[in-house]
Amino acid sequence: MRRWMLMALALAAPASAQTGQSLGQTLAQRSPAKTYASICAYCHGHNVGPIILGRKLPVEYIQAMVRAGRNGMPAMRPTEISPAELDALAVWISKAPKDTKEHGQ
Amino acid sequence: MSGATIDRRGLLGAGVAATIGIAGQAMAQGAVLAPGVSKADLAAALKAMRAVVGDAWVAGDAESLRPWSKSYTPDPTGRHAPVGAVAPDNVEQVQAILKIANQYRQPLWPVSTGKNMGYGSTTTAAPGQIILDLKRMNRILSVDTELCTALVEPGVTYQQMRDYLDEHNIPLWIDVPTVGPIVGPVGNTLDRGVGYTPYGEHFMVQCGMEVVMANGDILKTGMGSTKNPSAWQAFKWGYGPYLDGIFTQSNFGVVTKMGLWLMPAPPVYKPLVVRHKKMEDVARITDAMRPLRIAGIVPNVVLMMGAAYQLAMFHRRGEVTTKPAQVSDEEIAQFAAQHDLGMWNTYIALYGTPAQVAESERIIRGAFAAIDGDVMTQEQMKDNPWFHHHATLMRGGLSLEEVGLARWKGAGGGLAWFAPVAPAKGSETQGQIDLAKQILARHGFDYTAAFAVGMRELHHIIALLYDKSDPAEEKRADDCYRELVTGFGDRGWCSYRTGVHAMDLVAAQYGDTNRAVNAAIKQALDPNHILAPGKSGIA
Ligand SMILES: Cc1cc2nc3c(=O)[nH]c(=O)nc-3n(C[C@H](O)[C@H](O)[C@H](O)COP(=O)(O)OP(=O)(O)OC[C@H]3O[C@@H](n4cnc5c(N)ncnc54)[C@H](O)[C@@H]3O)c2cc1C
Ligand code: HEC
Repeated sequence: MRRWMLMALALAAPASAQTGQSLGQTLAQRSPAKTYASICAYCHGHNVGPIILGRKLPVEYIQAMVRAGRNGMPAMRPTEISPAELDALAVWISKAPKDTKEHGQ
Repeated sequence: MSGATIDRRGLLGAGVAATIGIAGQAMAQGAVLAPGVSKADLAAALKAMRAVVGDAWVAGDAESLRPWSKSYTPDPTGRHAPVGAVAPDNVEQVQAILKIANQYRQPLWPVSTGKNMGYGSTTTAAPGQIILDLKRMNRILSVDTELCTALVEPGVTYQQMRDYLDEHNIPLWIDVPTVGPIVGPVGNTLDRGVGYTPYGEHFMVQCGMEVVMANGDILKTGMGSTKNPSAWQAFKWGYGPYLDGIFTQSNFGVVTKMGLWLMPAPPVYKPLVVRHKKMEDVARITDAMRPLRIAGIVPNVVLMMGAAYQLAMFHRRGEVTTKPAQVSDEEIAQFAAQHDLGMWNTYIALYGTPAQVAESERIIRGAFAAIDGDVMTQEQMKDNPWFHHHATLMRGGLSLEEVGLARWKGAGGGLAWFAPVAPAKGSETQGQIDLAKQILARHGFDYTAAFAVGMRELHHIIALLYDKSDPAEEKRADDCYRELVTGFGDRGWCSYRTGVHAMDLVAAQYGDTNRAVNAAIKQALDPNHILAPGKSGIA
């Protein structure tokens, strides 16, 4: 039980990953790191999708992939990830270093 | 990291050029329009909608519609992809869009977060529809920390709920379906989805709705339309006929706000798994579980996970068998044993004070010791990824790991849920398993399944996993699904929910009178049939 609680604490988001959403307001544009953590990271580097950080994947390829999906990868609509969020996210992923905590399969 | 992973990545990298043009195919030039709607009507409707929401929030051509056209469900004849999408930001825009739809008789298919994966996502039951995508309406309208309730818009995801509660240090839990981060309470509840904490039956913990009717009227259910609606999220029933139910799994209105109840974080949370070694144990487990669920000693929605389903989450079929024919129980049992899994893995969790949890655990251990079940704790299961996954779900934690299922059989991402319901009695289990295996085997598919024990009922959750990149296999999956529906229906086991590809077929099993009543309500509330014709078999 103790161990479990510690794990839960470790998963709590750092301040940079906050959404800052307040009551009655729509979600503001998220930082690339937050978008990645809120959507992509649950699959990529987490048993479902291939690792995409640290591979210098082309920005346009990442964008096309997000909008069209492919096989097991669902497509993400502009209502889910706004055009501005996707622009920033694709550049961020393309430049990001490998995250050693992520795993393949 | 394994060599297999690296190979796979090389393969994916090589697929760059192939990406373009995949999802577009369904929305080909001659896309089928809705009955009575001309190309000019559709174009005029889309133009009028642009004036309401702005150009950026209307999609009408194959390229821009791509993200709305992707689905895991079988669509061998390409009749489910939408012909447009429109995304309002507020209720007034929803009303304006409905007016346009009525004017041009152009049907709209509302979605909230639009990730009904394995049931059709943002594709539609009948052709020629525009997706009314409510995802931009993602305001959390209120959270009452005393009553432990919330009021949210359709576009709110469980991730947003969790973030909001964490960022404001509110000690409330959410209850999520297995794919929490990208889906949300409104869409999930409206399709009568489930999660795995004590608040797992989502329609049970829903309280109050705002619905835009097809004619633009705004209905607030329950206490919502009284003078001082202070109890809107506290009392479900209001006065007179209870209406909320008719807006679930239906096409009678567009839900724009929904209330829900949240669970206070318990002082102690204790997840457990009960492992059984043999396929036939399923009947004993069900009979042992039923009284514990009815008495509330096991408080959460319990999953009895079959080993094949568990393996398909994190492993590829090729690791378990080399044969194309249905994978055998022996192959599954052997691989499962190597991974510290039983043939059935039943996940239970306890919530409360240390004394409450200890007493419940004592009773539960007694019940399962009597039927040779190994009751295992977090400490014993250590880093077992399956235990970790279910322990996450049973506390309302966020995860998408289970989408790995879509890669069990080839990379093609084909998944259709078949979910028949039976009473929670052991005598109802083995017959279903035999029948499912038989039908699946005939079409060359594996039996990857689980049972969810609600209170008195058993949902058999069969994941029909297929390779969607192979058109012949997609066709076989569609045929197989239909045979599952009819084969089970003949024995009295009918689905609680289905995908856009089978809505009519399942509706037929609920009888003519049921269909006629639904049709009459539809005619009264939406005489132009602009809302999601075909949803749950209602035209
Ligand atoms: C691996 C995997 C595991 C899954 N596990 C679960 C699970 O544990 N439990 C579960 O329930 N599901 C599960 N699903 C299925 C599905 O992904 C979820 O149920 C999901 O919550 C539904 O999508 P959504 O919430 O985005 O709803 P949406 O797609 O937004 O809505 C679903 C449907 O409800 C209707 N609807 C939605 N919004 C409105 C509205 N505002 N007004 C009128 N009608 C509306 C529409 O017909 C729509 O198509 C799983 C899927 C996968 C792939
Ligand atoms: C539900 C799980 C899931 C989510 C969420 C998801 N992906 Fe994927 N993604 C996959 C899978 C599975 C594949 C492999 C597709 C295939 O087999 O063709 C993939 C493939 C990709 C690829 C191609 C990788 C390669 O090696 O060629 C990119 C790029 C990608 N995803 C980007 C993203 C981004 C960016 C996000 C977040 C916005 C995201 N994905 C969210 C499951 C997911």
